[in-house]
Amino acid sequence: MPELDDELMERYQKGDENAFTLLVRRHQQPLVNFIARFINDKDSAEDLAQETFIRIFKAANRYKSENAHFKTWMYHIASNLCKNELRNRGRRDRYRVDNVVNSGSDSDGDAEQIDLIASAPANPELQPEIALERKELRNAIQKAIAELPEQYRLPLVLRDLQGLSYDEISEVLELRSGTTKSRINRARLMLKEKLKPFI
Amino acid sequence: MNCLQAEEHFSAHFEDTLDYQTLQGFEGHLAACEACQREYVRFQESVKAVQQLPQIEPSPYFMSTLQQRLATEERDPSSLKAIAATGWKQLLNGLRRPKWALGGIMALILAAAGTYFYQEGPLFNQDLHQVSVSSTSQKQQIVPLPEAFPSAQQSRRLVGDDSQLQRRSILSTPAQPMQQRYMLKQVSYTNASTSGGL
Repeated sequence: MPELDDELMERYQKGDENAFTLLVRRHQQPLVNFIARFINDKDSAEDLAQETFIRIFKAANRYKSENAHFKTWMYHIASNLCKNELRNRGRRDRYRVDNVVNSGSDSDGDAEQIDLIASAPANPELQPEIALERKELRNAIQKAIAELPEQYRLPLVLRDLQGLSYDEISEVLELRSGTTKSRINRARLMLKEKLKPFI
Repeated sequence: MNCLQAEEHFSAHFEDTLDYQTLQGFEGHLAACEACQREYVRFQESVKAVQQLPQIEPSPYFMSTLQQRLATEERDPSSLKAIAATGWKQLLNGLRRPKWALGGIMALILAAAGTYFYQEGPLFNQDLHQVSVSSTSQKQQIVPLPEAFPSAQQSRRLVGDDSQLQRRSILSTPAQPMQQRYMLKQVSYTNASTSGGL
């Protein structure tokens, strides 16, 4: 039976560096997926995932499993980093919009979103038309997720893409359980409307 | 249960977490409302489509890059350069907030104004003979003591009370050498053109 995350953290706190490596190996893929889906940018997702692990590495001695589970703590750190990134990106975009007139930057943004979907592994068994249709749907879904307001997008990604429980999401976002449930339902309803032409 | 209330329970019904009473109400409404039936079907399909999005994999270099960064992180905090850089970054990040940016701008204006008045004041301008020039008839001026002004022509430029000058010179104490060399004097100008080209 694999060791629990909290046990690995305890081992790391006692000086076992392999325990930290194990934690990274265990969580690197879900973390990159979460960040990439949330901020809609795979390249920055790797940087932010690494930054999350660095924060964990630095704060490891302050970690107490009775206060928060490792997974929720990790997602909490990652969420905050993502929010900062989006805020900074918003400032940069505002600056760019103010300074660049009709330079076609919107089409660049779309290309970035599509690249994120294209980077996902394709199923070779599918016929080309079906594969293309599915890719279009994936693009539309990712675009729809990216368009959701941050406060709805974050719990939706944690729930439907990362598979966290409502209690875990409440812990990550520091929200009451009722608020978390209502935000996820609201996010799904918004998404349903955005995907109307496709579903 | 109406349509809006039914919509609030879509997720709970999809995840099978409704209590018995609410479940009865929800399913009763859906059985009677075709619009809600359609919306609920679309809701389920869109949630399933999101859940089936493929997982994004990290690059094969993720671990090695992280290890390199961690090695740098271990060294960096001990070096003063890194601490200084972090300090500057924090300061600049702080200034990105409008409130702090405004405060920063105000501080800069105050500092600039302070420097300007300080430079215009007598303490900074001890090596200049004249504080300011204007068309007003009364001016406060720093005048060197007679021994510091050997040229008679230069002395004539200053129209003032010599006895006052000497009295102040006598009053200056030896403990303050800089003040001994210079003194403030009230100078009267009738006209700049007639007072030696001031």
